[in-house]
Amino acid sequence: MNLKTTVALNLGKFIIFLIKAFGGGATSAPGLLAEIIDPQILTKLSTNLEAGAILITGTNGKTTTSRILSSILQTANLQIVHNRSGSNLTRGLITQLIKAATSSGKIKEDLALFEVDEATLPKVVAAIHPRVIVINNLFRDQLDRYGEVDIIRKKWLDALRFLGPETTLILNSDDPLVASLAKNTKTNILFFGLRDKKNILKKAPHAVDALLCPECSSELKFDYFYISHMGKFFCPNCKFSQPRAQISANFIKLFGPDSTNTRIFVEENGFEINLKLGGLYNIYNTLAAVSAAVCLGLSLPQIKEGLNKFEVAFGRLEKIKIEDKYITSALVKNPVGFNETLRLLFSDKKEKNLLIIINDLIADGRDVSWLWDVDFETLKDFENTITVSGTRYLDMKLRLKYSQITNVASYQNLEEAFQEAVGKTKKEETLYVLPTYTAMLKLREILAKKGLAKRFWED
Amino acid sequence: MKLVIGYLYSKLMNTYGDRGNIITIAQRCAWRSIDVDVKEIGLKEPIRSDIDLYFFGGGQDQSQIICSKDLISTKKAALVEAAQSNITMLLICGGYQLFGHYYRPKSGEDIEGAGILDAFTIAGEARMIGNIVIELNKQLINNNPTTLVGFENHSGKTFLGKKTESLGRVIRGSGNNGEDRTEGAYYKNVFGCYLHGPLLPKNPLFADFLIEKALSRKNKYFSLKELDNSLELETHNFVKNNL
Repeated sequence: MNLKTTVALNLGKFIIFLIKAFGGGATSAPGLLAEIIDPQILTKLSTNLEAGAILITGTNGKTTTSRILSSILQTANLQIVHNRSGSNLTRGLITQLIKAATSSGKIKEDLALFEVDEATLPKVVAAIHPRVIVINNLFRDQLDRYGEVDIIRKKWLDALRFLGPETTLILNSDDPLVASLAKNTKTNILFFGLRDKKNILKKAPHAVDALLCPECSSELKFDYFYISHMGKFFCPNCKFSQPRAQISANFIKLFGPDSTNTRIFVEENGFEINLKLGGLYNIYNTLAAVSAAVCLGLSLPQIKEGLNKFEVAFGRLEKIKIEDKYITSALVKNPVGFNETLRLLFSDKKEKNLLIIINDLIADGRDVSWLWDVDFETLKDFENTITVSGTRYLDMKLRLKYSQITNVASYQNLEEAFQEAVGKTKKEETLYVLPTYTAMLKLREILAKKGLAKRFWED
Repeated sequence: MKLVIGYLYSKLMNTYGDRGNIITIAQRCAWRSIDVDVKEIGLKEPIRSDIDLYFFGGGQDQSQIICSKDLISTKKAALVEAAQSNITMLLICGGYQLFGHYYRPKSGEDIEGAGILDAFTIAGEARMIGNIVIELNKQLINNNPTTLVGFENHSGKTFLGKKTESLGRVIRGSGNNGEDRTEGAYYKNVFGCYLHGPLLPKNPLFADFLIEKALSRKNKYFSLKELDNSLELETHNFVKNNL
């Protein structure tokens, strides 16, 4: 390490000490400062990771996938550096490495596990030269921040082009925008995907982003869909089709918001597992994590044990008890994620207590147009009042009005909305809170004040 | 009474929530017991003769190129004729650009448009992103509010020729090109603009204006029943005054 790196590292450590002394979390500011002092610090610190780094990216499921993988790796007694708080820009990764490093830059953990923002992936790949990259899916998301999906995909292609077979690229075989990345890189490739023929959609949902073949721009044909544009696809023109998945799931039984039974296969070897997660999208997250574990050489019993020990994260369907009621929140940030959350919550066709919080701060995306790509019409036959809040609560209320849902209570103030929504929830019932990103942080703060949730950096 | 909507390239040009415009028209008709039939018109499918109102939304660059080729080869002639015979059309963002003469990308050949609006678009350097408020062209409407609100997200800069009027003047935001304060364009009953949001839910009077235009071809003496617009206008005013 040269002087610049030493200064950056130790100043970073000092800032972490200060922020913690004042009761804060220190998940990104120290890394931001260290990066300004030494722009190479991410490369320099990560070369000290004996077993390399695993990067996880994609529009939806980064946090859950990395937490499932973390559970598997820890169960197998591997020591890892992990940006658990979800701070996933380079500053977040650097902060985590600074925390793990000694003042001379040594890191005792063998392996880093980083969830990485989609648009930041190229920068991180160039700096770290990762051992494994997991790409889960690509959907439209906060178009004012990220741009259209083609723009993100092009960034990924440019980043992957320079990697060789020492890196393994783990790709979702069912997402044409992701599966096709394999064609343009020299990395080792592993595919994961669903092979269940029961939990399918015959018709494309509205918010579909990949009806054109990413290889030749002809119209793709789909036999069926799992989620949005993920499914069994083929291109009649250039013959590109859903690749064979080495890691797959079949015989899926969905039991509602927090329970699923499935068989997971690594090639032909399968095991049955009960997951404390609901929804098809969480099967994808599980498969992505299993694929990375397989790639690191872990055994099936180790993987299964890790999956059994997994606990859900806040804002990702974690269940919290508040007096004689329960609260579960699920982050909503784009149409596909929101649609899948509704599909999951209402799969049992029973009434639910709902609180929807839509903010439009920069981290949420300033544009709320995407609410009109969410199929709220599916809720119109339910009778319970829906509570709405957030900086754009009026837009949310208007969206519901045009889905013929008028039994809506709205409050600009989040704390008030939360109190009212909890008040309306009956004993032993669950209030499902669907917040955008900054609304989720705010909600968490409210719960932390009541001593009901850890602050996000403590989790 | 029945309104037939022709939804152009519904599968490829649907990226920015613009489908909300269809939902809004359909719902505002349903509240007045007007039947609505939405005909999706995709690649290679011909223009139909029974359409009262066309809608064309925004999509990704690649989709836009594919649609442009199809627009010219299978739909242009019929759409020009429909526009000339006063059929109502609403075009947003990419759809708006493709109704001009051409789109000139940073590199490569011009993408040909339908040429129904006397306008052309040139790829710009910086993206124009943010909430936008415009004052509606006075020749168009004399209603309150006289503003339209929405969210723009485009890099193309559109310039208007002499044969088309702008839809309005920018109060806040960038508009057609970030230079001349114009936003959108119209010719006869063809209306194009950059406003996502989507446009119609928060601009209910403009939605009714389009519905009325489309239906008055069938019945000259027809007028729309009033609806309760309080939530729509409250949301409109929130964007206008706070964002």
